[in-house]
Amino acid sequence: MINSVRNTVLAVLNKNNYGYISPSDFNLYAKQAQMEVFEEYFSNYNKIINMENARISGTHYADLKKNAEENMEIFSVSKFLSHSSLNKYFLPSLITTGDESILLNKVLCYYTITTSGINDAVLANSLSCSTATFETDGVSAGDLVVNLDTEDTAHVVSVVSESELLLDADIFPSANTEFKVYDQGGVSEAEKVNHSRITSLLMSNLTSPTMAYPAYTQEQDFIKVFPAAINKPGQVFAQYFRYPYDPKWTYSTILGGSPVFDQSQSDYQDFEVPLQTEYRLVMKILQYCGVSIREEEVAQFAAAAEQKEEPTFSQKQ
Amino acid sequence: MAYLSQYQYYENAGSAPEDKNWGSYQYVSLDDIVNNFLLMYSGNHSLVNNEERYKIRFHAKRAIQELNYDAFKEVKVLELEVGKNLRFVLPSDFVNWVRISMYKDGWLRPLSENIQTLSAKAYLQDNDCNILFDQDGNILSPENSLIDFQRIKKEKKSIYLNPGSRFDGQEGWAYGGTWYFEYRVGKRFGLNTETANFNPTFNVDKKAGVINFSSDMAEELCVLEYVSDGMEGGDDSLVGVNKMFEDFVYADIQYRLLTHRHGVQEYIVARAKKERRALLMNAKIRMSNMHPGRLLMNMRGMDKWIK
Repeated sequence: MINSVRNTVLAVLNKNNYGYISPSDFNLYAKQAQMEVFEEYFSNYNKIINMENARISGTHYADLKKNAEENMEIFSVSKFLSHSSLNKYFLPSLITTGDESILLNKVLCYYTITTSGINDAVLANSLSCSTATFETDGVSAGDLVVNLDTEDTAHVVSVVSESELLLDADIFPSANTEFKVYDQGGVSEAEKVNHSRITSLLMSNLTSPTMAYPAYTQEQDFIKVFPAAINKPGQVFAQYFRYPYDPKWTYSTILGGSPVFDQSQSDYQDFEVPLQTEYRLVMKILQYCGVSIREEEVAQFAAAAEQKEEPTFSQKQ
Repeated sequence: MAYLSQYQYYENAGSAPEDKNWGSYQYVSLDDIVNNFLLMYSGNHSLVNNEERYKIRFHAKRAIQELNYDAFKEVKVLELEVGKNLRFVLPSDFVNWVRISMYKDGWLRPLSENIQTLSAKAYLQDNDCNILFDQDGNILSPENSLIDFQRIKKEKKSIYLNPGSRFDGQEGWAYGGTWYFEYRVGKRFGLNTETANFNPTFNVDKKAGVINFSSDMAEELCVLEYVSDGMEGGDDSLVGVNKMFEDFVYADIQYRLLTHRHGVQEYIVARAKKERRALLMNAKIRMSNMHPGRLLMNMRGMDKWIK
């Protein structure tokens, strides 16, 4: 989609010889445009819910919520959170999970340890421990295995024998690594509690956090999970919405003064927002271009066109 | 929670204790209640929205506590021997007593409550009745007050009831199963009906967490029937409610959330209240087990002569 958007933008700009924007400028504007569209998803979603409650939204083909959810869920990610210390876990970030989160939607805590030990042989996609009794301990397919040294996680595909598990990922590249196996059924959703409530909640007789009803608070770049017994790597799993990757229009050669699009470049990145937003992306990029080349007409045209041609619920409110 | 297989139900799938799941189908767990409420009664299109889970959990537990106090007919029973100190420490989950009995000679003898003081705290005093303190300013207390001491040492009198005996209605001392009486001169007035009982009497000292008995209860077996609040010592996984009350618990949580929320129209609160009340009545009727078999038993008793 990115090449199509760029071609359209250039075509509009060239129409009255307004000017030209370089690939690097285009990439900057494309990033901003995509971010604007992305952030509107969340506020629009709330408005769509309000429309439903006001009975001004329908079902089937008129189901705006379904479409909005689909657009947002493109950016939904489920990953284990890196353990910091004690009951603290790092929030998703480029360093820990490889992406930045805009909204931590769900935090799950594994709390039932089926077995633990130290692996003593290295087999591909397997966990081997001669002293383990996996079958007797009730390990079953789907249970979670955590390498406590690397914090890598995998799920059990099958129990091969008392001492060997087949895993869906190769997380034990070396021997003498400590591991834990968590029961897939022993998982509960943690509730986010703000700091002004957590102290009272912890002191409450009826509602203090338990393994079955954990809670967490958020500060700086980590979350703190309660009860404090949730304090091991691989115990906290999160579903969150990440920010979209920066779009990048890449080229290989310059032909006749113009760069030629090449999507085989390693740093190529298309827009992640769906195709239906192409029109708005073009208009938003044109607005930035109009400001950039000091052509007020371009900026005004794009802003007016975005408002008029494809009105959204948010703009009408 | 998933349904249990027959093997899990009867044998706990070969694990101990074997009886873990017996009768469990009558109950719905706290986890299920909270989860079902979140799924079915709260959300963007529901009356309850944007409520924290801990509030739902709180109201669910409160509803279960309230049901345990009266609506459930689930009385816990504990048998313990009363020591020489004539004290019975209340169980850790005790909320209120239903009946206190002495188990003797194969018979359960319900005891009467004696609301007159059976026990007291005492301070040490000098000859001029001044209270004595230690060097830190704390009051000095004896181990037992005189009233406790006399009760424990069986120096307090109680009334002997035995219509077949000439000592019937007289005050005396019960000691080692034998009664001793003072020589009676003249008439006695003002019979205290509370203590006028052949069996020992008791007084529940809720603050101290003990039941104090009269002296004739020493080294006897006491059976305490009591109600708890159903919180199972704080273990949420054991907390549950009879399925007859499941709908009531949902309605109660909804009502409590709506009634304490700002801006909810009064007719919505009233509707929730009405629903809650109706469901409670329904559940109580169901729990009362009025079925033809029982009615028949009562009807058969109609012609019985009351002697």
